[in-house]
Amino acid sequence: MAEEEKQLEEFEQIDFLKDRHVRFFQRTLQVLPERYASLETTRLSIVFFALSGLDVLGSLDVIDKDLIIEWIYSQQVLPTDDKSNLGRCGFRGSSHIGIPYSTKGPGVLHPYDSGHVAMTYTGLCSLLILGDDLSRVNKQGCLAGLRALQLEDGSFYSVPEGSENDIRFIYCAACICFMLDDWSGMNIQKAIEYIRGSLSYDSGFGQGAGRESHGGWTYCAIASLCLMGRLEEALSPRELDRIRRWCIMRQQSGFHGRPNKPVDTCYSFWVGATLELLGVFRYTNFEKNRNFILSTQDRLVGGFAKWPDSHPDPLHAYFGLCGLSLIGEPNLRKVHPALNITQGAFQHLQQLHQTWRSSCGQQH
Amino acid sequence: MSGVEKTSNESPEVEDKNKEMDAEAEESFGDDYGVEPSQYLFYSDRKEWADLEPVPQDEGPNPVVKIAYSKKFSDVYDYFRALLKKDERSERAFALTADAIDLNAANYTVWHYRRILLQALSKDLRKEMTYITNIIEEQPKNYQVWHHRRMVVEWLNDPTEELAFIAEILSQDAKNYHAWQHRQWVIQEYKLWDNELEFVESLLEDDVRNNSAWNQRHFVISHTTGYSDPAVVEREIQYCLQQIRKAPHNESAWNYLKGILQDHGLSSQPGLLEKVLELKETHCSPYLLAFLFDCYEDALENSKNTEEQERQETLSKALEICELLAQEKDTIRKEYWQFLGRSLQSRHGRSSSEEPPGAEAESLPASGVQEAS
Repeated sequence: MAEEEKQLEEFEQIDFLKDRHVRFFQRTLQVLPERYASLETTRLSIVFFALSGLDVLGSLDVIDKDLIIEWIYSQQVLPTDDKSNLGRCGFRGSSHIGIPYSTKGPGVLHPYDSGHVAMTYTGLCSLLILGDDLSRVNKQGCLAGLRALQLEDGSFYSVPEGSENDIRFIYCAACICFMLDDWSGMNIQKAIEYIRGSLSYDSGFGQGAGRESHGGWTYCAIASLCLMGRLEEALSPRELDRIRRWCIMRQQSGFHGRPNKPVDTCYSFWVGATLELLGVFRYTNFEKNRNFILSTQDRLVGGFAKWPDSHPDPLHAYFGLCGLSLIGEPNLRKVHPALNITQGAFQHLQQLHQTWRSSCGQQH
Repeated sequence: MSGVEKTSNESPEVEDKNKEMDAEAEESFGDDYGVEPSQYLFYSDRKEWADLEPVPQDEGPNPVVKIAYSKKFSDVYDYFRALLKKDERSERAFALTADAIDLNAANYTVWHYRRILLQALSKDLRKEMTYITNIIEEQPKNYQVWHHRRMVVEWLNDPTEELAFIAEILSQDAKNYHAWQHRQWVIQEYKLWDNELEFVESLLEDDVRNNSAWNQRHFVISHTTGYSDPAVVEREIQYCLQQIRKAPHNESAWNYLKGILQDHGLSSQPGLLEKVLELKETHCSPYLLAFLFDCYEDALENSKNTEEQERQETLSKALEICELLAQEKDTIRKEYWQFLGRSLQSRHGRSSSEEPPGAEAESLPASGVQEAS
């Protein structure tokens, strides 16, 4: 009897609580308490985590897609009539600047309003996930806004006013160009140089040259090169083998982001997806990875945390799910490892690309 | 406190979780609300702000991921938005940015506006250094605060406080990525290399497994003496082996050792293989074995003129290491070590009847998905 109870308890410990996660993301999309204030300027990326999370769960039907599409478009910084703000176009994280709500142009001139590269990236992904055809995206604006962000060394700022610059924003830029099917938004060669310059002596990638190698920045490097279609051009076979080794050594149970650091749920995606892109994810230990991710699952409110017995948050909830999706957890949709949206959303994008290319003779 | 209607259909466990997390947040931000509620005046009640029309956040009919702000929070930011709209450059605007930062130090627009004001009003940048020092101490993992500090240091063109300040932050968290990044920038920009190797060594004394410190070691040496001097390389090899003897299970030390030698060929460093084989007996680890494997692989790749017999012996040793790792010393990566063994075999093995049976790679699952058992 005791044996059965123990087995039952073990099963309960490691089962995946889909409904809780659906509700977690639903609540995220509604209202967050004030202690989440630091997320204000990045709210669109939180929207992305929730939407993509629901998509991975096959549960987008629980939300009103059209309403959310409208809200996302209201974050677009559109060109003004005289197009004097083209270099500032893209998507905002939220309405925190105080621009009056509007989902259509022309843009409103405001001394401090501009897009943020990570919000443009997650905004476009979110629209795709919701099945939108991107027809209301001002592509000229987005690409001009993107070009304005790239520095001489190939890296990007996040906003035209200036910010820190590093490999994260190269990844955002690559995603934007990939989704808009237009690489005029960036100088690929310079970006590749910056990426190569970020390769550390231990064959992981740092946030920039000389910096400590890290699972998140390694993902940004490899995924960017894959999206650009330049992985094998930029890195030699020997370098790729060394990078595979660095990545695969990150598995401890789940994965950590740097040698001698604790494991953290989100690296199951950052490192896992990198390994998948490099063709060797299959050689990791799926069972230990799964057990760790599920140990960070919040059984009451849903979502995942970075560590066991910690509070869940939208980012770790999303990447926990993606980590499980990579290992083939039943009832989870597959995620495109470089673009980080479901294969279904990716196929929708491919169809859009086909449509755009076949009407290429017409004016955009 | 929040003044926003709570969704009444939250489940009890969510309500409980929210209460728990609100209480934790109160603990860490308790001081901010230390002012007696009756003494705090909303901006909307301050007569010196009466000329300004506050600008609320316009979320539209269906806000998504809406944050439920308290009246105090909205009040500050409604006035912030008003200032932004007219691009006001004034002392009162500067003072308000401090309140806005206090409520949300991750709002990059507030920081940008504050920098505009610092310059427009010719504010005392030394005072600003004190200000940003305090904020970073409270929130050392925020991107905006470190970027702001960098801007002020650049304007002052004065890095003299930086190394000590960063050391203080690192004393609280020796692996803070922002701190290390700022440190590298300061050192490179202002050429402050002189004492950095000493600093790195003191951190490695504290924790020989601090991967950030090992990275910094490589940063300093590659930008000063470089690694082309054989004396430097020899010194570094000795340093690594010494640290490995103290703490064998340390990926950082082995990564560093491999990193500084691999471009010249691991197998070309005289005497190294022997030392590692010695260490294998008393200070073994998965990293040591992986290093050995890499030595053997390097020997196979780069010694085309070696006798076939010797090459096969090297191959055999390499495959033994793979088996040892897969079966015993690094079982979590079993599939990987076996894959490496198969790859090495197919690249360098003799095609003869003496090949062990089953050497052909077994077919992998088509989708690359293993069953989670």
